[in-house]
Order: sequence, then structure tokens, then C-alpha cells
Amino acid sequence: MAKNITVNIVVNEKEHRLEVTPDERLLDTLREQLRLTGVKEGCSVGECGACTVLLNGKAVHSCMILTAQVDGSKILTVEGLAKGDKLDPLQQAFIDHQAVQCGFCTPGMLMSAKSLLNENNNPDREEIKTAIEGNLCRCTGYEQIIEAIEAVTSSDKEKGDD
Amino acid sequence: MLEFDFLKAENITDALKYLNRYNKVKLIAGGTDVLVEMHKENFSNKELNYLLDISNIKEMKTINKNGDSIEIGALVTHSKLEKSPVINKNINILAQAAVTIGSTQIRNRGTIGGNLVNASPAADLLSPLIALKAIVVLKSVNGKRKLSLAEFITGPYNTDLKRNEMLTKIIVPNYGEHYYSVFKKIKRRKAVDIARLNMAVVTKLDKKNRFEDIRIVPGSATPSPQSFSEIEDELEGSNIHNLEYNKLTKKIAEEMVSITGKRWSTPYKKPAVGSLLKKSLKAIIKEVEVNG
Repeated sequence: MAKNITVNIVVNEKEHRLEVTPDERLLDTLREQLRLTGVKEGCSVGECGACTVLLNGKAVHSCMILTAQVDGSKILTVEGLAKGDKLDPLQQAFIDHQAVQCGFCTPGMLMSAKSLLNENNNPDREEIKTAIEGNLCRCTGYEQIIEAIEAVTSSDKEKGDD
Repeated sequence: MLEFDFLKAENITDALKYLNRYNKVKLIAGGTDVLVEMHKENFSNKELNYLLDISNIKEMKTINKNGDSIEIGALVTHSKLEKSPVINKNINILAQAAVTIGSTQIRNRGTIGGNLVNASPAADLLSPLIALKAIVVLKSVNGKRKLSLAEFITGPYNTDLKRNEMLTKIIVPNYGEHYYSVFKKIKRRKAVDIARLNMAVVTKLDKKNRFEDIRIVPGSATPSPQSFSEIEDELEGSNIHNLEYNKLTKKIAEEMVSITGKRWSTPYKKPAVGSLLKKSLKAIIKEVEVNG
């Protein structure tokens, strides 16, 4: 019988000490152990981006990482974006720009966008497209998604000009 | 059903000890290949009893300029290659290739070492690194050996890596300012897709703008990327302003078919490899003109 591994991870700013199996993916741990079901499983092979989370601030596929590999890391999922009752500006922009149709790709899209804004708070359209190139939307709502992300960057700029 | 134990190494010495002590060990770094294989149930306990995680070995994540060469740790991610000032300044072709790989998420995890060891015929870093005449450093408890990357890759998905060895570093000669390089790639869609074909060209230009020491390495065109010596010989010594593209594109297509034989994809790949060569040479010429 394969031995379980103990890992300490910080998920959405909360510390967890967990027992994981050697083949347990970060996606499985987040969904099954921590019940963070905003993290979606789509293709399972790193093509659709539905399982995207931030690992130490960077967008990664949680289906392609074993939880045992990320002991000591910080993870942010879509559930950790809002602060209390206040949505993250990205989430609000997705609502305002009707960037959500069926919603399955939305958590991944939001996390890819968040990762981009962490590195660059004033990206141009091409940089936005590159950031979400690994996220598939089968409802073909890309225009609205790009506009939503752009809206957050421009509102930041206005704040900066004050 | 596959069942394995998870091992973790925080430094090269420990990783090599594990590799020496245990049998049927598979290394995992970024996981962008290993997890796909696992999902497709391509592994069995015939070859895998232990997964050894090397993704946290810090000493393999650095890029250093060391005299006449650049040393790239095997765990450097594609994102890091893409953004590294040392790579962009000295071996820009590697940044050009890295940025075309997968998606942001893949580039944030996938590593240069994984790309080479996996040895896919379509691996995007293979063709530029072969054209750059890169050296790989392989370590084991018994010591280390250095091998040219072209020798290291022994076939599609095959390398000369021994059971107890680990690829720790890639050494790229630092070519001077008289060298030019370009990477071009064709794929079905812009993002995520693997290459239908890619091409790396590295060349020096003499004072009269003639190709010297030119290397032309197409990827996905042959079982493993390799230098195309016939087209290189044809171009060597030619003036950049005096090229007969029709002749050159035909010649590289013939050379490809002479290596692979005729395949179902040949009618597509013949004009495509010619077109990539033309685009690559034109990109180099444009760069020469911009530099005056």
C-alpha cells in the first residue's frame, strides 16, 4: 500500500495540514478534501484551463500538479478572490460585462486574469489575450471576457490618476 | 492499477542518492508531461514504483552567464526563459521558442529539462538548442558527464539518459554579435497547440554578408530534430542578398524526404518546411538590415 504524505499548504489565506495520497492532484485535494468546487475539472490534461488556480501568485493547472509537490506553498482559488461580501473587481467586471454564460470556464478565466494583474496592473489587449490563451470558453464569450478584464485595468488607471 | 510511493529531493545530492538506491523511479518536475501520461494510464508498475519529485531543487532553477557560455538549470521554466534578461540578451532564440510553448499555465510549470528529456519530435526547445550546439550535463552518484544535445537525443521520446542519471544543466555557448538566430513555428491555432513544424536557424555573417557556420534545424520534420547538412552546405558562403528561394525551398523539402521517406503528411510538410526556411532566412536578413 502506497504511503500517504503530510503536507502543509495555505489555501485562500487559511492554513491546512492534510494527508494526501501519492497520486492525489492539487485539483483533487482542493475539490474533495477542502470542498472548493469552484475549481473545475475539464480536460484533465492541461488544455482547457478550467482547473486554473494561483500557486504562489502564478497561474497553474491544478490537474497537472501533485499536492505532495507543493508542500509549504500558497494557493488561491476563485473562492478566495472576494474579501468578505465584497467581490474582487475582476468578479464584478465579469458580471457587469456579461462575461459569464454557462459559467464553467469562469473560475479559471478569473484566476488567469488575476495572475496577469498580479504581474502587470496595466496590460494591453494582446497581453490579456496571452494570459487567457490557455482557457477555453465553449460559449464563445471571449470578447466580453477580454472587455471585463480591460475594464478592471482602466478603472485602476483612473484611480491612479486621482 | 498504478500504485507508487512519493519521494522528494530538495537538492541534487539527495536526488541522485534516491535514483541510485531505488528501482523503477520516474522523475517529476513541472508535471506537464508526467501527469498527462498518468491520466492516460500510460504508466504501469512494470516501470514505475516511485515518483521522485525534483521540482523544489533550487540549485537547478538558475540561469548564469559563465565566461563564454550560459548555464541554464534543468528546472528553469519556460516562463523564466521567456522573461530572463540574460536569455533575451544573449540567446534570444530560446526566448522566442519558449513563448510559443503551451499556455501561460504550462509555461509557468513546464521546464527546459523536461522538454529535453521527454524528447518529443515536436519539442520546441530541441531545435533551437541543437542549432546552438548546446551541451547537457548528466549527473549520477558516480560522477558527471557532458554530452552534446544532438548525441543525447537518440530517437523520438528516447535519450541516452542512464537509469541512475539526472539532467541537471544545459550549457549554451555564448555566440558573439556576428551571429544571428531565428525560431519559427507553424501550428493549427496560436495557443496551446503543439508544433506541426518548427525551425531554428543560427548563423554567423561574414563582413560581406555571407552565411558562415550556418545551422538549420527543423522540428517535427524528422523523427528527432537534426541539422539539415545538405541545405546548410548549399547556403554556406552564399550572400544574403543573392538567394534563390525557389531552389532552396525545394532542396530542403527533398532533404527532409530523404531522411523520413514518404509519409501521409509529406504533401503538406514539403511546401511547409520550404516556407519556414524562406521565412526564417528573411527574418534574419531583416534583422541584418535593421542593424545596418
